[in-house]
Amino acid sequence: MPEGTGALREVLPKQGTGGEHRPALPAQPAARSRPFSPFAGQLSVEDTAAMVLCKPKILPLKSVSLEKLEKL
Amino acid sequence: IQAAWNLKTRALTEMVYVDEIDMDQEGIAEMILDENAIAQVARPGTSLKLPGTSQGGGPSPAVRPVTQSGRPITGFVRPSTQSGRPSTMEQAIRTPRTALTARPITSASGGYVRLGTASMLTNPDGPFINLSRLNLTKYAQKPKLAKALFEYIFHHENDIKNALDLAALATEHAQFKDWWWKVQIGKCYYRLGLYREAEKQFKSALKQQDMVDTILYLAKVYLRLDQPVTALNLFKQGLERFPGEVTLICGIARIYEEMNNISSAAEYYKDVLKQDNTHVEAIACIGSNHFYSDQPEIALRFYRRLLQMGVYNCQLFNNLGLCCFYAQQYDMTLSSFERALFLAENEEETADVWYNLGHVAVGIGDLNLAYQCFKLTLVNNNDYAEAYNNLAVLEMRKGHTEQARALLQTASSLAPHMYEPHFNVAILSEKVGDLQRSYTAAQKSEEAFPGHVDTQQLLKQLKEHFAML
Repeated sequence: MPEGTGALREVLPKQGTGGEHRPALPAQPAARSRPFSPFAGQLSVEDTAAMVLCKPKILPLKSVSLEKLEKL
Repeated sequence: IQAAWNLKTRALTEMVYVDEIDMDQEGIAEMILDENAIAQVARPGTSLKLPGTSQGGGPSPAVRPVTQSGRPITGFVRPSTQSGRPSTMEQAIRTPRTALTARPITSASGGYVRLGTASMLTNPDGPFINLSRLNLTKYAQKPKLAKALFEYIFHHENDIKNALDLAALATEHAQFKDWWWKVQIGKCYYRLGLYREAEKQFKSALKQQDMVDTILYLAKVYLRLDQPVTALNLFKQGLERFPGEVTLICGIARIYEEMNNISSAAEYYKDVLKQDNTHVEAIACIGSNHFYSDQPEIALRFYRRLLQMGVYNCQLFNNLGLCCFYAQQYDMTLSSFERALFLAENEEETADVWYNLGHVAVGIGDLNLAYQCFKLTLVNNNDYAEAYNNLAVLEMRKGHTEQARALLQTASSLAPHMYEPHFNVAILSEKVGDLQRSYTAAQKSEEAFPGHVDTQQLLKQLKEHFAML
């Protein structure tokens, strides 16, 4: 992803408290509803404008008159 | 002997005959010294010279490449689509005459003179008919010979004045009752630039004998006078008298396309196909519209139809390759492009194919291949602005800022009407902190494409920044 200056947005859900006394949750669904994030450091997404490529070019077909003119 | 003469004349004419209905190259001289303009500034939607101001409807420049005059590129190119009516002399000189040469059309009469001299090459032992020694009055009295002779003078020799003289004498001889001669006089006036007189002749011919050709010629006159709405009305009236006539419907579609009203144009092209489903121009235009409206599979069907009809050239295979790739039919993509490269007749076509191959490479993520493809594009055509722009984007990804900047500079100077190089310069400058340059570039990008959201956001950001200082 291109880096650079831009608005930084935190994409971090509210962290549950770490520790041993976590309520027993079924593993998969909980992980899905709460995006997994490493305990150290923050995840962030940058909303930067990226450079644009020029578009692919559909070539126009030539008319019979144009081809004849070019030949002449 | 008269029959043999007649036959030879007509054969020679046929060799260089280009249907006058199509033949329409407007040179710079005609454009700048135009005395036919009625109003200084035309109301929006009524002029061919101001393409942006119309009902619109169609893919934006964010998706569809735009030509020098600000119109989106079309699916089909005719002798008249090259002109594009630039507003300043400088832009006029920059507009290339055809895809082949980089030189602009300076004057239409120059092209015709060349056609005339080209015909002289076909006759190694001097011209078949020596015009200066012709007694036009004598020939004017023999209608059958006169007609063949007129066509010869008009198309083969391109000597409009003599042709006009002959036609005038012949019309008089026919006591102004022969519509054919009126049409020919109209054509001569058109060539000489006397559009109002041509209009009169065509109208009078129409009154005498209603013919589709006459309607087409009259519409051409109106288009030259920059009266597209009049031409449209003429076509629609013509359709009432000749319902289902393909050339008229096609004419309407072309005018809508010139006025940038893509949705109406598409509708009329579909009507054309209902009447004649082998009409190459309609298929090509609808195909390209679908491609740029994010429907490559449908575009693919249309281009396949062209292939079925026996169209076999570089452009078609290039378009097939593009459609296959974007429609995710990866098996056909590369072979189509290979065929396109094989069929390319000159370097510009080769450059176009390599450019599109570069896009395919970007799509599959092979950036090295993309780099090579864009470089090959430039090898074949040094003025390919889009390739410069895309190379700059790739260089930025590798971190070579200075090279990217140089490439973008080239791209934006080659193609100031494109918004992409300006926008990229703005992004690049902003990244390195050169906000002033970023701002000027962003403004140019906005000028080229006012609807671009990212440009507007960038401008807003910069303005806030400047306000803080």
